[in-house]
Amino acid sequence: MRSLDRRQLIKLAALAGTGAFLPRQASAVGEIFEAIAKKMSEGIKGTIGQEVETPLPVKGARFGMVIDLGLCIGCRRCSYACKLENNVPDTINPPYIMVLETKYKPGQIIAEEQPMKNHVNGNGLLYTKLRRDRMYMPVQCNHCADPPCTKVCPTKATYKSPDGIVMMDYNKCIGCRYCMAACPYNARRFNWWKPEVSPEKINPLVPLRLDGVVEKCTFCVHRTRRGRTTRCVEACPNKARTFGNLNDPESAVSKLIASERSFRLKVGLNTGPQIWYLTHPKEKPMIWYKPIPISPDIRGLRKSG
Amino acid sequence: MKELSGHIRENIAGSNRIFYVYCFILLVIAVVGLSQAVKSLAFGHGHSTMSDMVPWGMYISGLAFFIGCSAGATMVGLLIHGFGREDYHPVGTRAILLALLSIFGAMNCVMMDVGNPFRAMKIPFLLRNETSMFFISSSSYMGFMTILGAELFMTIKITRGKASSRDKLLAKLLAIVAVPYALVVVHSFTGTIFGVVKAREMWNTPLLPIHFVTSALASGFALVILVTVITSWIHNKELVSMDTFNHMGFLLLFFLIATVFIDVFDYIILSYSATEEGMETWHLLTGRYLVTFLINMGGLFSALTIVAFKKGRTPRGLLYATSITLLAIVAYRINIISVGQLVPLYPELGELEYIPNIHEVAPFIGLVALLMFIYAVLTKVLPLEDKVHASHT
Ligand code: SF4
Ligand code: SF4
Repeated sequence: MRSLDRRQLIKLAALAGTGAFLPRQASAVGEIFEAIAKKMSEGIKGTIGQEVETPLPVKGARFGMVIDLGLCIGCRRCSYACKLENNVPDTINPPYIMVLETKYKPGQIIAEEQPMKNHVNGNGLLYTKLRRDRMYMPVQCNHCADPPCTKVCPTKATYKSPDGIVMMDYNKCIGCRYCMAACPYNARRFNWWKPEVSPEKINPLVPLRLDGVVEKCTFCVHRTRRGRTTRCVEACPNKARTFGNLNDPESAVSKLIASERSFRLKVGLNTGPQIWYLTHPKEKPMIWYKPIPISPDIRGLRKSG
Repeated sequence: MKELSGHIRENIAGSNRIFYVYCFILLVIAVVGLSQAVKSLAFGHGHSTMSDMVPWGMYISGLAFFIGCSAGATMVGLLIHGFGREDYHPVGTRAILLALLSIFGAMNCVMMDVGNPFRAMKIPFLLRNETSMFFISSSSYMGFMTILGAELFMTIKITRGKASSRDKLLAKLLAIVAVPYALVVVHSFTGTIFGVVKAREMWNTPLLPIHFVTSALASGFALVILVTVITSWIHNKELVSMDTFNHMGFLLLFFLIATVFIDVFDYIILSYSATEEGMETWHLLTGRYLVTFLINMGGLFSALTIVAFKKGRTPRGLLYATSITLLAIVAYRINIISVGQLVPLYPELGELEYIPNIHEVAPFIGLVALLMFIYAVLTKVLPLEDKVHASHT
């Protein structure tokens, strides 16, 4: 009732200020004023309409991930599952996980090429039909050990947790996008539009966002800090992804990292990415799944390119 | 105070119709342009062409440009109070006004750019991160505005003959303090916003803060000269003497040489870059962005050539040289911000694109019109040196 009164008041004020307007224009102006008033109160109070408790960092843990390129078939099930799990709206495209298609053939990337700063020169494509003569490379937030994004954020809206997860505090983000400019891995997404997720799809464990804030992969903090694995790991049909505690030498991730095939992206930048990739050892039989189509309409990509 | 309000009333009463029409047109452009920014504030930046791949666009170029323009006042203040160049006195207040409005413009660019400007207002007291260059530089703008505001107050007092010797000393101190503050804190740290980004080859160079200082001096001083020339033309009398115009031209020449020097060697080294990103940046600059690259370098060289000759350091020559300088530095700001982000972080992404559309251009034009409107009104109502001097003679 109270909010309704306030809304009416704002509309009235807008109408009074634009007395000469036609009713339709006046209601459009009222809508704008209403949206601004909402943004102002959300911005100042810092609430986003859904109370979600984020679990505390796990003591003694340092989370990391390994992605085996020999097992990734580019089906994008990880990307799609992540989107659903984390209440990522359709207006965010590409989602947190981009599955890049490289022009390398399976088995062509060899360990000696480390560090793979620029592993491919050609014009590969982000989303195409699945090809068995191509290699696929999922990329996302690397939860860097020394993340440039957290250093540049003017409000500490993004920060490094003791368990290694680079977190977002949506209530502090001003949407300056400095973190996006500073991230070498294109891991961050901005809410250019008001994010809308249909109510039946909302995951109550993950907070909803406002327009004008940045978001990214959280290593499924709502699951991993409660002892479960990430959603992308669960969704991968070929078990290309492994998640775990890097501080535990017996964990599967620690063992895989020790492999000769492991490398990280852009290590020359000293960001200390916490996602390791395994190069493709040799051509080996795999089950190929149909890729999940994702809208090709990605902002910022040159159409003729 | 009473006298000052009397002065303001007198000036408004003395305004002619052309002035009102000019102000009205500016106001209309400002309202139309900025209404687009209000829409973006309400519904998000979805209509812009910025993207997750190219997150910064025209507003950040505007921020870099406007901040640069604020350097003029520092130089004029230093010349008057530090070097005793009394002949610069007639442009003292105007230079401070231009600097204040430039910073106001820069801060508005930030406010139009960020997703939640209301929350951004909590910086620096309620929200802060001392390692963020954005935090440091945006906080420094507030300090700069305070220094300039105090300088403006003192200068007006001096102009009206109401200043005590202590006021004069304070004005001198402020003018001198403003120089290291502006150059070392404001401009260098604005350059460092980009310089620290190791993800982007074109930005990640220690030359960037130095470049921002020299180009700020060139654009800020060019703006002061341009306004002096235009004001002289409007009032049909030279605001400063021919000797002072000549001296202004000399200083501009010096700032242009420093800017061109850094630019040329930066680009030469970029064209031999050891990294693929560096080479790709160079190819973008000399390919898709060739026009702005030519405007930038060609403009700087042409302006430099004009002011290198005594004949070019006349009001007419300076009109051309300063307009070209400002255009060249706008082109530089566009290049550094846009090209800096257009090299894809993963080659598989293909080519990236950023061309600002009407939703970004309109608010920008509206902002410029608003700044011109405020400047017109303030120069009308405030007791400026030239007006007070004229009324005394
Ligand atoms: S990948 Fe990017 S967003 Fe993720 S921690 Fe590193 S710098 Fe930050
Ligand atoms: S967009 Fe948000 S998270 Fe990113 S740097 Fe700005 S305030 Fe920090």
